[in-house]
Amino acid sequence: MGRYFIKRLLSTIPLLLVISFLVFMFIHMIPGDPAKLIAGQDSTQAEVETVRKQLGLDQPLLKQYGQYMKGLVTGDLGDSIRNGKSVVETIAPRLKPTIMLTVSAMIWATIIGVALGIISAVFHGRILDYVGMIIAISGISVPSFWLGLELIQGFSVALNWLPTGGLDSWQSYILPSLTMGAGIMAILARFTRSSMLETMREDYVRTARAKGLKESLVVMRHAFKNSLIEIITVAGLQIGGLLSGSVMAETVFSIPGLGRLLVDSINFRDYKVVQALLLFFAAEYIFINLIVDVLYGVINPKVRYD
Amino acid sequence: MKNRKKLLAALLAGAMTLSMGATAFAAEAEDGYAVKATNTEATSPDNDLVIAIEGSVSSMDPANIPDTNAISATRGCYEMLVYFDENQEMQGQLAETWEVSDDSLTYTFHLREGVKFHDGTDFNAEAVKANYERVIDPENNLRQRRNFIETADDGTETPRVESVECPDDYTVIFKLTKAWSPFINRLTQFCIISPAALEEYGNDIMNHPVGTGPFICTEWEEGDHTSFEKNEDYWGEPASVDTVTIREVPEAGSRTAMLQTGEADMVYPMPADQIQAIEGNDDINVMTADSNIMRYVTLNMNLEPLSDVRVRQAMNYAIDKEAYIQVMYAGNGTIASSVVPHIIPGYKEQEAYTYDLDKAKELMEEAGYADGFSLTLWGDNSTQEIKGMTFIQQQLAQINIEVEVLPMEPATVSDKIYVEPEEAEVNMWYVNWSASDFTMDGSLRSLLYSTMAPPTSANTAYFNNEEFDSLLDEGLATADPDKQAEIYGQAQTIAWEECPWLFLASDQLLYSTKSYLSGAYVAPDGAISFANAVLAQ
Repeated sequence: MGRYFIKRLLSTIPLLLVISFLVFMFIHMIPGDPAKLIAGQDSTQAEVETVRKQLGLDQPLLKQYGQYMKGLVTGDLGDSIRNGKSVVETIAPRLKPTIMLTVSAMIWATIIGVALGIISAVFHGRILDYVGMIIAISGISVPSFWLGLELIQGFSVALNWLPTGGLDSWQSYILPSLTMGAGIMAILARFTRSSMLETMREDYVRTARAKGLKESLVVMRHAFKNSLIEIITVAGLQIGGLLSGSVMAETVFSIPGLGRLLVDSINFRDYKVVQALLLFFAAEYIFINLIVDVLYGVINPKVRYD
Repeated sequence: MKNRKKLLAALLAGAMTLSMGATAFAAEAEDGYAVKATNTEATSPDNDLVIAIEGSVSSMDPANIPDTNAISATRGCYEMLVYFDENQEMQGQLAETWEVSDDSLTYTFHLREGVKFHDGTDFNAEAVKANYERVIDPENNLRQRRNFIETADDGTETPRVESVECPDDYTVIFKLTKAWSPFINRLTQFCIISPAALEEYGNDIMNHPVGTGPFICTEWEEGDHTSFEKNEDYWGEPASVDTVTIREVPEAGSRTAMLQTGEADMVYPMPADQIQAIEGNDDINVMTADSNIMRYVTLNMNLEPLSDVRVRQAMNYAIDKEAYIQVMYAGNGTIASSVVPHIIPGYKEQEAYTYDLDKAKELMEEAGYADGFSLTLWGDNSTQEIKGMTFIQQQLAQINIEVEVLPMEPATVSDKIYVEPEEAEVNMWYVNWSASDFTMDGSLRSLLYSTMAPPTSANTAYFNNEEFDSLLDEGLATADPDKQAEIYGQAQTIAWEECPWLFLASDQLLYSTKSYLSGAYVAPDGAISFANAVLAQ
């Protein structure tokens, strides 16, 4: 498996190269001129040209890409156009809030989502199934922006239990992680339910029951364990999404995360920050997929890596 | 159980607030207030001021300021030679007095003595010179450099300042290469940084602010907050509050909630649609401040129907400016009565284009366009801007002008605007302008001077009037306020009668505070002044 892991890791390099090229070209192709934004609304064209020269944006695109790649290899991602801080300095402080929120949202969403899914599958067609699915459907249909504002109205303004935003204490994580996790909880509940319903119709489950095993054992060991692969795949994709930052939750709860940084940087045409972020997100997705693939083998030893 | 009921009620109330959305909310309270708190006896639980703002403090280097929020924050710890006070009058700050020579070429500043930087070093004439030299050095690549440089069309640069001399420790003399009246206004943005700190940190000074101001910056975390503590050794009256924190809260609903819970003492901006959310809170003021924002629509005068002044005037008569202010700003705005907002020094009131459809139709008929024509209207794609454009569309439809509204992402609009004249596609542009230096020249030149048509600058009306141009040039050459008033008065009348724009309004800035906060306000350019803030105890 070690060899498989290394092979997979190495295979990401050409993939990332292609991504970096596409990202670079797309960003530079969208209309908008950071030089104009920096020089200001009342700047003259000559002033804009001066700024453009200073930023190196007057060079041919391919040459700019070459310089960018050279920087990437040597670990120098350049400086943010907006305020001159280095790209690493700009992104690094935004990682922690995003990671903390991803973890806290994933934990509760996975536990509740999977539990709801199992309960709905076991009590298929009965009242508990309907209740579970109503919760799941609400979770997925409520816009997170609205949910966040409602939670603030309820828990911060009316009850004064929790802060409205920021990340100063552990309490401040509660509302944003509830907001971010709601949709994921719903998705996981629905996937768990459908996958469980499928496996519970399998012959080996019938055999297990016929052997006289306790129902809880049948559900958890035989049915659930076989549904896990699907659940992990879905959960992995969701983690990838959350790690790219959640613009909505970050905006409502004033959290300085990666999502807001990306949007701000795109609006300012802060090319270097946008490039670095997108490449980072791509690498993150690839890596999480790799972990998920490895986990398949852990869960089901029948999965072979060649 | 009680709590659960309370929660349910709160959720319902929240849902209602959100679903009711933006309804016009007329200002009923006295001047300067959109809503006045009834509970004026409230006291603050602490002496720490928290201000929630919408955007980001993206720099703490006062010579490299990309936005208004950075102005608000840097003004906590930095000071200038001169500044605009609450009434937009220029006052000395680090300069006690100053005089300008008759030829408007020499500016002499007499500096305040006994002022120390936060690092303990002395403020003096050499410090002013060192800051000027830093700003002007192209190597440093600072935005402020443009204030002191004139760039010709071919890109060659000429410094506006010939020399900076320090005849003694507390006198600085700026000699200009040629008379340029906005100079003193530009100095209101020229903050003095400790030369010792500049020596130590270079351009990394943004991470280590050292000024002379009433507050010392203790932490700057972009995207989250900027914190200050009181400067105990301040040369003037020391600050009343112990600490100040500027929190970045992008969502308006969340800012309002912070004010309601007491997490914030002041929030800016406060969208008009949030006003009803604070009904029932008796200790919150919603304040209005006149702004330097001019809202208008440029009319491309190179286009056939728009080249006729009667058509342009008709279009101005066809717009109900009062309704515009109601629809857009819930009544918090001032109808444009000149090409510049009324708070710009030198503003001269013009004869209004009062909403009059009969007159508009008459003018259209006279010009031979009784059946109208079609135009496109460009603008940014934010909800608010689209609302404004749709309003213009409806109004102009009344005189048979069919307007196609084309909202675009801001950077895209900019790309399409700044093109060579022969490639210009712009018909009308819904846009706004704020002259950050509060000068007439800053308010007019980039927008209406003949050589400032795109791609050079933002004259998208392609307005070309020799007399207007020469008046602007005359205005630049004199620093005498009386002469300036006369010159710029004439320039305003020319532009007003020629109608290169649809003149709309200046919106008022809305911000809100806890009633126990006083002394903090939002200046017309949207910068927050908190140096004199007091939290009632």
